[in-house]
Amino acid sequence: MSLLVLPLQRLFAWKIRGVRWVEIIGVLLVAAMIFSVYVAKAAAARTGSDIADLERQIAENGRRVRLLRAEAARLERPVRLEALSRDAGLVPVDVHRLATEDRLPTLAPRPEPAPAPAPTPAPAVAEPEAPVAAEAAPATDEAAR
Amino acid sequence: MSVHDPHAWDRPVRAPAWRPRLRLPSWRWLAEAMWWVEHSFGRARADARPEEDTRVRIFLILAVFSLVFAGLAIGAARAALFAPKGGVGSVHHPFAMTRADLVDRNGALLATNIVHYGLYIDPAEVWDRPLAARQIKQALPRVSMKRLNRVLNGERRLIVLPGLTPQEKAAVHALALGGVTFEPEDRRVYPLGASARHVVGASDGGGVGITGAELAFNDEIRAAGQKGQAFPLSIDLRVQGVLENELAAAATETQAKGAVGIVADVQTGEILGMASWPTDEGLNRATSAHYEMGSVFKTFTVAAGLDTGRADMDTLFDASEAFMIGNRRITDFHATNQILTLEEVYLHSSNIGTSRLAVEMGPQVMRDYFTRFGLLDAAPIELHESARPRRPRKWDDSTLASLSFGYGIMITPLQMTAAMNALTNGGRFIPLSLRKGGRRDAQARQVVTPETSAALLELMRRNVVRGSGTRADAPGLRVGGKTGSANKLVNGRYDPTHAVGTFAAVFPTDGPLDARRYSILILVDEPGTYPRTGGFVAAPAVGRIADRIAGFLGVERRADPYRTALGEAVPQYQDVEGDGR
Repeated sequence: MSLLVLPLQRLFAWKIRGVRWVEIIGVLLVAAMIFSVYVAKAAAARTGSDIADLERQIAENGRRVRLLRAEAARLERPVRLEALSRDAGLVPVDVHRLATEDRLPTLAPRPEPAPAPAPTPAPAVAEPEAPVAAEAAPATDEAAR
Repeated sequence: MSVHDPHAWDRPVRAPAWRPRLRLPSWRWLAEAMWWVEHSFGRARADARPEEDTRVRIFLILAVFSLVFAGLAIGAARAALFAPKGGVGSVHHPFAMTRADLVDRNGALLATNIVHYGLYIDPAEVWDRPLAARQIKQALPRVSMKRLNRVLNGERRLIVLPGLTPQEKAAVHALALGGVTFEPEDRRVYPLGASARHVVGASDGGGVGITGAELAFNDEIRAAGQKGQAFPLSIDLRVQGVLENELAAAATETQAKGAVGIVADVQTGEILGMASWPTDEGLNRATSAHYEMGSVFKTFTVAAGLDTGRADMDTLFDASEAFMIGNRRITDFHATNQILTLEEVYLHSSNIGTSRLAVEMGPQVMRDYFTRFGLLDAAPIELHESARPRRPRKWDDSTLASLSFGYGIMITPLQMTAAMNALTNGGRFIPLSLRKGGRRDAQARQVVTPETSAALLELMRRNVVRGSGTRADAPGLRVGGKTGSANKLVNGRYDPTHAVGTFAAVFPTDGPLDARRYSILILVDEPGTYPRTGGFVAAPAVGRIADRIAGFLGVERRADPYRTALGEAVPQYQDVEGDGR
């Protein structure tokens, strides 16, 4: 029993310059722990501020998106679009220029390709109805949307 | 103890002075343990082991602290590792706001909240006040110079102007003036301006709806806003746009005082478009204005006649001479002077015919049917603006005759739409709704038989093909409808220069009764051009609107027995003369 306990007691009582080494090691460990806690806390704070920054950016972008959506809605309001279309000489598609998909093969072929194919405005519609004539005016309503 | 106590016998026996103190066993154990620790020093001395006392105490304190720290460590670890994500306040939505965006049925924006800025100035921090005032006025022309000077020459930080748009804020901010600050404030914005403004309504600065859908759905809009969602209305902005543009065109063309247009889904009661012209007027004529609508009401009279079995398509009515009620003489606008079938009565819009039918049916039946069609109550819709009609006070024969062709009762255009929907969807009266998907709580009410509804659809179609509504036809869309023309009561007399022209239409009229079908109502108030009848002022707009919205609504152009898909007449059906009455 004393064979085991005595060396332990001696070891425990071993002092360096009047201070127990156990205490020195303890103080060192505590210092290391304090430092690591500090580092961890600092990193967490930095991450936290990063997160807050990103969230602020998200909110800011959200506000901007709302603003742009509102602006887009303002520019796309039906009254303005129709006025612009009418100014540009566009009118609703005449019923005789409409055809359903299944009638497409029976349509008369294009009589003569235009000599200088001017860049035509956007293809008329993505509706099931397709323009019969080659130079069909775009449907104001659908094209505007 | 020689003193005699005379009352001793009737006193209760005193309890013995000593009583064992009642203690719970656990407390006793604890006390003993404490005393054992407390006495350990003495004990140790008695046992001649003086080192024991400190050791025990140190051990005890160590144990207690270890326990506390272990508890804390476990708690901390648990909090760090197993805390629910987002913490307690995770119900908060990142894009939550006081009021939800209002969108149409396809998600197009109708109303939204935008952060605006209040402009504040602290005069103590402004160096050159006249210069600051000049610069701010230059950057922000709409600011009131008076207010600006008052704040600049004041003592405290005060607001100069609320509601700066982000651009205005940037312009003022770029001046880099001292003492000028901005406070963000949430503002309701209606990017469409005048478009759909009567439907959408408005809300005040505190985020509470005051008119239109903003008021009608106030609580739901706020609830949706808390969740960061948008609130969809039944409006289709494309339909609404066409309706507004065509309505404005028709009103300008006819030099009218006002106009109303409503497009609704007959089967669900959803309003797809609702416009009131002029748009800069606060009054929503569709919900709140009353009109005597004239011959459109013949539809209801005929429906009642068919539904009660009092008449069928071939019942004859003598319109060869004026119909006398007392000394009131009812004549036809375009007299045919012959005996007409019910169908001809409808197509020629014969006042004599419908008056005879109404008087024949009597006040009970007429009142019953008018109630069923909702003509005697405010139109069932969420909008608070929906006004009650002006109903007739008495129901004598003369009134019945007037009612049969749309006089003597003033209703709102929405009531007309609701009633026409019921007549054209198989006879179910469905409350109108501005909510996408229609109303879920309200039950449809069967008001006429499906057969009556089918007969009316056919009748309305024939009226457009060869009756008074020919101008409302749109190629291949099988439009049906009834014109209405009424004179307004001016200074106690019906004045033919103050007229109301109406057209109540539905398309397509063919197909099963529960097929997709849409109603269009156009009402032109006091047209200035001649002729002022519904067939001339309102019907053409109906045709153009149907033509343009059919694509959005998915209505295909098709031939029917009267017209080809391209709108050409099928030869055996010739037009009878249409006077547009």
